[in-house]
Amino acid sequence: MSAQAPAAPWGPMSKPRASAWLIGIALTLLAVGFIGNVGIVFALLVALMLTGIPISIALGLTVLMFLFLLTHVPVEAVALKLFTGIERFEIMAIPFFILAGSFLTHGGVAKRMIAFATSVVGHLHGGLALAGIVACAMFALVCGSSVATVAAIGSIILPAMVKAGYPKRFGAGVIVTAGSLGILMLPSIPKVIYAISTNTSIGALFVAGLFPGMLLTLMLCTVTWYIARKRNYPRLPKATWGQRWTAFRQSVWGLMLVVIIIGGIYSGVFTATEAAAMAAVWAFFISVYVYKDLTLKDVPRVLLTSANLSAMLLYIITNAALFSFLMSHENIPQAMADWILGKDLGVVTFLLFVNVVLLLAGNVMDPSSIILIFAPILHPAAMKLGIDSVHFGILIDANMEVGLCHPPVGLNLYVASGISKLSITELAVAVLPWLTTMLVFLVIVTYWPALSIWLPKAMGMM
Amino acid sequence: MKVLDHLEEWIITFLMGAATLLIFVAVIHRFGAGTRIPYVQDWLLSLHFSWAQELCIYMFVWMAKFGAAYGVRTGIHVGVDVLVNRLPEDWRKIAVLVALIGGALFTGIIGTLGLRFIWENGMHYALFHLLGFATGDLPEGPTAPDLEWPTWIVYSAVPLGSYLMCFRFLQVMWTFVRTGEVPHHDAAHVEGLGDDDPSFNEAVLKVGAK
Repeated sequence: MSAQAPAAPWGPMSKPRASAWLIGIALTLLAVGFIGNVGIVFALLVALMLTGIPISIALGLTVLMFLFLLTHVPVEAVALKLFTGIERFEIMAIPFFILAGSFLTHGGVAKRMIAFATSVVGHLHGGLALAGIVACAMFALVCGSSVATVAAIGSIILPAMVKAGYPKRFGAGVIVTAGSLGILMLPSIPKVIYAISTNTSIGALFVAGLFPGMLLTLMLCTVTWYIARKRNYPRLPKATWGQRWTAFRQSVWGLMLVVIIIGGIYSGVFTATEAAAMAAVWAFFISVYVYKDLTLKDVPRVLLTSANLSAMLLYIITNAALFSFLMSHENIPQAMADWILGKDLGVVTFLLFVNVVLLLAGNVMDPSSIILIFAPILHPAAMKLGIDSVHFGILIDANMEVGLCHPPVGLNLYVASGISKLSITELAVAVLPWLTTMLVFLVIVTYWPALSIWLPKAMGMM
Repeated sequence: MKVLDHLEEWIITFLMGAATLLIFVAVIHRFGAGTRIPYVQDWLLSLHFSWAQELCIYMFVWMAKFGAAYGVRTGIHVGVDVLVNRLPEDWRKIAVLVALIGGALFTGIIGTLGLRFIWENGMHYALFHLLGFATGDLPEGPTAPDLEWPTWIVYSAVPLGSYLMCFRFLQVMWTFVRTGEVPHHDAAHVEGLGDDDPSFNEAVLKVGAK
């Protein structure tokens, strides 16, 4: 059951080297296991994960093995958790947002947004690339997934850029990083997962991502503009205000989703889950009846692919609920919090530590799994240090963005590689200028809490 | 086998669509009931949608369980493959096999646990009652708060879904042993969007070209 990687960037190791690695890993895990129960739990989890077992099942198996072998917790406790793990209405926002994202991707919303963005910034240096970034930001306002953003915007703008004479690597690099805005701006699936596992307000988290998202858009645009000017990439003729207005009017149907989602949650008309369901219905409506890019016949296929993806995420969540049950049963989050506080790290060092841990985790796991495993562990310590829960969520989100953009598991890269037919290794080099920008952005988000929490505070959402 | 495949797909597609519609209708209903239109409001107030949230949750739980089984078939459950992909070929095969056995084992255990749970929480009673056996002091089992359905029926998604998933893992394992192939979800494949669809390019470039 391995993997998203179509082709591993590196070749296989020789047998002696592989056995050296395996023995090394086994010894390390054994050593970790001797620390105590905490060590055993994590050693088990890591060992299972390294076999390539799906993360959801590795989480579940760890819990079962630990409970059976080392404790006297009745099995009924596990059975009960299996049922109650995902029985929360907030969690149901995830399938709805995935469905809305699918409709937006296939329904021609992206195309209109790109046309509008092109009419506004197309005449600058690297116009189409800038338009791609702005379109990603606009799409991110209404869509909660990075991968969907890359797929939706990238599959249109990349061929257009190549046709206009941009090098493929440049275009792909821009889109991979700009697409990650998908999980930062307004609605976002990782934010819902964070909100669920830490009991933070979903609405506040959505709104909190707006300013950081705008800052990142600006930073990415600046870098792109600078590179494009230096290398003298093509510019498009300036569009008239009339053309801009037409393009805007056409894209406004998609942008209305912002009003539905944020307006609905803010005014208290809907809960976040209801807003997500309304967004899905609205996205369906405009794709099929307004833009007519999707026929009714395509709808079941969209439903099926969304259901497939949602089920996978919900399955991880169920098993992560089991895992966090085990952790709280063993008092691990509390112990970690005490341990971290005992080190007297201070907020600055603690946040640095969090960033390093999450960036490392970003090398091996996808965002949802990382948040489900690490948020319950790190959150209590963050709270004790007086860090705002919403700010902490945005920080984790920004970390996930970076993880999505670099190998070996950065999904954005794989999507962009599928569109551009560039290899992962090539792309990994191509994204470097923007990836560096994102790291700078990560530092800003980490140490400037007001950037994230000012807006939800001003709106009275927290 | 084909029938099972289609049934699986059909169930999760239906549940996804139906749950969305359900919440949509419930929200519209709440809106409508709040506005003052003569007669219409009275009629709307006479309808109750208080069970909508609960039903939606159950639909998604069912979708999640069956979708997870479907996911095994489509290979969407991702794992950490950084190490495995670098192992020598025959060792990698062993690792994949271990992973598949782990999956089958886990889902099998969970299915059994789930079955035991619902058996003790009402299925036993219901079955005996149905067949006319003496039910004695068997518990009737709890019911869902809003829908008032027996919970064991609702929760039977867990054993059913898990056993189906276990079956899918064994199926994948069988294929792997025979052909050395595992299904794998190609995230890079963007469905329904052409790589170089001229109409897209025109739509984008038109604005500038004019």
